[in-house]
Amino acid sequence: MSDFYQTGIITTLHQIGKSSLERIELELREFSKSRPIALVLPALYSEFEGPAMPGIVQELAKVKYLHEIVLVLDKASEKDFKGVREFMSPISTDLRIIHNDGKRVTEVYETLSRNGLDAGQRGKGRSAWLAYGYVLARAQSDVIALHDCDIVNYSREMLARLCYPVTNPNLDFVFCKGFYSRVTNKMHGRVTRLLVTPLIRSLQQLIGPHRFLIFLDSFRYALSGEFAMITDLARVNRIPWDWGLEVGSLAEVHRNYSHRRICQVDIAATYEHKHQELSAEDPEKGLMKMTIDICKSIFRTLASEGVIFSDGLFKSLSVSYLRSAEDTIMKYEADAAINGLEFDRHAEARAVEAFTRAIDQAAKVFMENPMGTPLIPNWNRVTSAIPGILDMLKKAVDEDNK
Amino acid sequence: MTDTLNLILEPLKAVFRQFMDFLPNLLAMLVILILGIIAARLLRVLLVRFLKAVNFDAWADRMGVTAVLRKGDLWAKPSIAVGSIFFWLLIVVALMTGMSALKVPAIDQIVSQFFHYLPRVFSASVILAVGYVIAGFISRAVLITAVNSGYHYARLLAEAIRLLLTILILAMVLEELKVAPGIVLAAFSIVFGGIVIALAIAFGVGGIDAAKRMIERESADKPKGETKDDIEHL
Repeated sequence: MSDFYQTGIITTLHQIGKSSLERIELELREFSKSRPIALVLPALYSEFEGPAMPGIVQELAKVKYLHEIVLVLDKASEKDFKGVREFMSPISTDLRIIHNDGKRVTEVYETLSRNGLDAGQRGKGRSAWLAYGYVLARAQSDVIALHDCDIVNYSREMLARLCYPVTNPNLDFVFCKGFYSRVTNKMHGRVTRLLVTPLIRSLQQLIGPHRFLIFLDSFRYALSGEFAMITDLARVNRIPWDWGLEVGSLAEVHRNYSHRRICQVDIAATYEHKHQELSAEDPEKGLMKMTIDICKSIFRTLASEGVIFSDGLFKSLSVSYLRSAEDTIMKYEADAAINGLEFDRHAEARAVEAFTRAIDQAAKVFMENPMGTPLIPNWNRVTSAIPGILDMLKKAVDEDNK
Repeated sequence: MTDTLNLILEPLKAVFRQFMDFLPNLLAMLVILILGIIAARLLRVLLVRFLKAVNFDAWADRMGVTAVLRKGDLWAKPSIAVGSIFFWLLIVVALMTGMSALKVPAIDQIVSQFFHYLPRVFSASVILAVGYVIAGFISRAVLITAVNSGYHYARLLAEAIRLLLTILILAMVLEELKVAPGIVLAAFSIVFGGIVIALAIAFGVGGIDAAKRMIERESADKPKGETKDDIEHL
């Protein structure tokens, strides 16, 4: 990004000029002495068989300012777990692997379940939440950074830029979201480009200026999975376990902290990871499932802030969104043309039609059950219900890693 | 030749006769043991089901019992753990009862000692359980009070009190079990007394100046010949 325009009500930290990774890392090493950093990596075992993970491990092995790395390994057998430990061995930072399917961690989930604390279904949300719990249990880090494990073009500069705003004590940010453009020979990120932004702007058109919508619209990539935050935030935030994770997390940050202390940072010129299938005909799969979960999360957050939804509003929203999204397609078509990118207008239009159906579906589900969007309880509540749970989690992970 | 043969056969016959006399006792022991194992298994299943029905696991989670099990790297559910302890206790009782059926005087004595020792094990378990809950309660109360008073080392103080109470409880348990009572008493006196003396010296030496300032301030607040006003303050 070459401009220096400040978007919306949060601070935007741009990539201006030639960046110096050495300088940022040097400063981070200094800052991390007083504000130790934990890196959380939610991963599926299948990602260790893909192309991204070797590059990520190679880059992380060069990072010297991290205090600890917590990798949450999902869908892995005991043998896979051992294999991953071996795979991660080049990294010299204190590394702990949470074996989500292990006997001990399973027992921790069961302990939560029998005390009426639902950690939700397996997925990135639950994995991230459990990793936060482990970081809190160790009580050694002040900053938590998180990124996905399917980034094909990963570089340690991404991590450094992500950590910097929250770790630098002079900046006083509590939450920092990464942004980037997902471009190869064409533009990706359909859900952000064609759903989230047009939907937010349509909602603003219908219900007027709303602080949460303005906040959400301030993010250049609201659905990016990369962020850093202070550890206290991990204690008080409740997060959804479904695809509403990113929007739900932003809603909690919006609720608990001043916008002045929230920022977004340009972490990469391009970003390449796995792409979801649209699966336009099946609302239980792919981008359709993701879209419905995101819409439900937005509707629920707005309802919790006093916005009244009705059938009429949702009907107008569908029409308004469709118009807004069609206009957006034209903007991106022009953007693609000037940059020499491939642009399949028909595919984009089909995606918008599918997203319109997804909004209707989400509205229907929301009207039937407004409380339906699941949230994992925050760690403050969990420790209040089961005082020894963090010690239990720490013991489980430490024993698994022996 | 016959005499030599008799010399060999007579002891064998005697042993055989003794064995035949002993055989019913042995069979009785085996029957008791088998029935004991079956009963223990059945009772374990019933106990675990009962504990699950009354939500014992959730109660144990909230009371910190589960956390203690996990600290010992025991990952079974608390109800299953209690069921297993109960099962093995019944197995030991069945074994002792079976051994008493052998009617061997030496074993009878051991069995008698075991059954006399059982009440001590029971009371020691009660002391341990109640003591653990009380230690946790006092430690938490100290933590809350110290935090509310703005004391900087609140957690350290609470943990130190928990440790002292745990030492006290363990000493009581070992005393009840009569495990080397002389050594336990001496060790407890040395450890507990040592900690108290260490704290007394630490506070005494470190607090000389603070105590002096407090006494001086107290004296300065009450000058001689202070006149009292006539108003009664509430």
